[in-house]
Amino acid sequence: MREIFVPLEAYQVVAAVLFTIGLIGVLVRRSALIIFMSIELMLNAVNLSFVAFSKFHGQMDGQIFVFFVMSVAAAEVAVGLAILVAIFRNRETAHVDHVNLLKG
Amino acid sequence: MDIAFLIESAVKVLIVFGFVLIGVPLIVWMERKVIGHMQDRIGPQRVGPFGLLQTIADGIKLFFKEDLIPAQADRAVFILAPALPVITAFLALSVIPFGDTVEVFGRQVPLQVTDVNIAVLWILATTSMGVYGIVLGGWASNSKYPLLGGLRSSAQMISYELAQGISLVSVILMTGTLSLASIVKQQQTLWFIVPQFFAFVIYILCGIAETNRAPFDLAEAETELVAGFHTEFSSMKFALYFLAEYANMMVVSGIAISVFFGGWQGPFLPPVVWFLIKLSLFLFFYVWLRATFPRLRYDQLMAFGWKVLLPASLLNLTVTAVVVALSGAR
Amino acid sequence: MTEAVLFALFSVSAIVFAFNVVFRKNPVHCALFLVCVLLSLSGMFILLNAAFIAAIQILIYAGAIMVLFLFVVMLLNVKGETPLLTPGAAKGFGFFFAVIAFAELLWTVLTRGGAEGTPEQAVALPPGFGSPAEIGRVLYTTWLFPFEVTSILLLVAVIGAVVLAKRKFL
Repeated sequence: MREIFVPLEAYQVVAAVLFTIGLIGVLVRRSALIIFMSIELMLNAVNLSFVAFSKFHGQMDGQIFVFFVMSVAAAEVAVGLAILVAIFRNRETAHVDHVNLLKG
Repeated sequence: MDIAFLIESAVKVLIVFGFVLIGVPLIVWMERKVIGHMQDRIGPQRVGPFGLLQTIADGIKLFFKEDLIPAQADRAVFILAPALPVITAFLALSVIPFGDTVEVFGRQVPLQVTDVNIAVLWILATTSMGVYGIVLGGWASNSKYPLLGGLRSSAQMISYELAQGISLVSVILMTGTLSLASIVKQQQTLWFIVPQFFAFVIYILCGIAETNRAPFDLAEAETELVAGFHTEFSSMKFALYFLAEYANMMVVSGIAISVFFGGWQGPFLPPVVWFLIKLSLFLFFYVWLRATFPRLRYDQLMAFGWKVLLPASLLNLTVTAVVVALSGAR
Repeated sequence: MTEAVLFALFSVSAIVFAFNVVFRKNPVHCALFLVCVLLSLSGMFILLNAAFIAAIQILIYAGAIMVLFLFVVMLLNVKGETPLLTPGAAKGFGFFFAVIAFAELLWTVLTRGGAEGTPEQAVALPPGFGSPAEIGRVLYTTWLFPFEVTSILLLVAVIGAVVLAKRKFL
């Protein structure tokens, strides 16, 4: 079978598409949880980009960076969800527009 | 990717699949018989010789039951949830070596569906995905008791995953490889149970907690929370959860055998027979525990996982690391 | 050939699932679709010779972080919000900026943003590339300091999460 080679740009385009979908999610949805999930989607798009670069340069540094991104994402999710739980307990809502006590 | 490789892999997949589907009724029969005799009664004895066909009869009964889906339940998730633990159990079974390399039609065929070089990581990953079947089953039922049972059960599973992974890492430190086939081959002179006895104890306790078996089965016991996360599931969905529980028992036993007990190695008998003997002994041990111990209360269970097993596994890992580094073995 | 087929499969599924994450109403469904995205990406990582990262993605991201998400959704009983998207002009602005960002990303990727360093084809990879041994070797020599800092960061996150989610303030 003829070898179809998947170029680096293909992986980067996929990563860009995933990033944009996550960006749309952050900008357009109003539920704090879904915004959080869209942020995770953006982080994963970046992970894909890093790993693709790592393979095409033949160096491990991209994968190590993905390792760190994952651990930081885990820490961020834990703390972010704890904050969300605290807000939810007080305000009974996860809707971003309703958490507006400081609004002028 | 030649045709012979594809056929070989397909045959191995079918063998493992068939083995689980035939083995699970046998395990259920053994459990009922063994618990019966330990409780001074006989167990199933009417359906087939020695009650062997009892599980088949139960399966047929379950098949003909009405398949209820609660009115407010989340239909898609409700139908998907029972399939998930079965899928993860089969994925984990795909890397367990159940025999040495055999010669078939002039090809060397290792008796393992696939030998990935990150097999132990793969097993940890698939068992961690097994949590979804429980938590989604509890949620999709849209009912109090399943939700509580599902959340408790999944909290238990993720708590014991840590100690399980760390105990396996202690063995990895000694072997230097994550591939289960290599780990089995490295036990030709000495099974890893001898230097890593504590890792084995921790692993098997975590394995029992992971599969939600007694004495860690609070979340699904009939006397607690109705039946836990699988209250609302009937007919084939319940049968799938049931199948998944026993398939996961086989996974935990298979890993314990491969990592600590030398896999398929043993004198005189062919390798596959040794693997089956060891597997049967482990499954008997599971059933024996169920018949013997009262179940742990939920807070005792979580305290045990976090306050006893996790520090113990970390201590074991540290000692192993120090010994390996000082002896300069690798 | 198989690589191209698998790449097409994984990337299409990742994009379809990502759309479902963003545009569905029920948060549990969104979380499940995000798990599917993570699994598709894990498949792509295996295609990219990143075996350890692929396993870690399933183990940590799909197996722990998303379980945490699902726990929070289920415990708080978060319902989907109505209306689904931001009402009014903000929605239009959101889509517009996202499209601009996407155009910019595409331009950078397809013209390489003027950079010279990226090779045309993949370089020949050393045999243990992406294996846990290789990751360990690089992680504990070149990247030791970020590794230690990350461990402290995780400790801080654990303490922070426990304190923030308590009912009475300490």
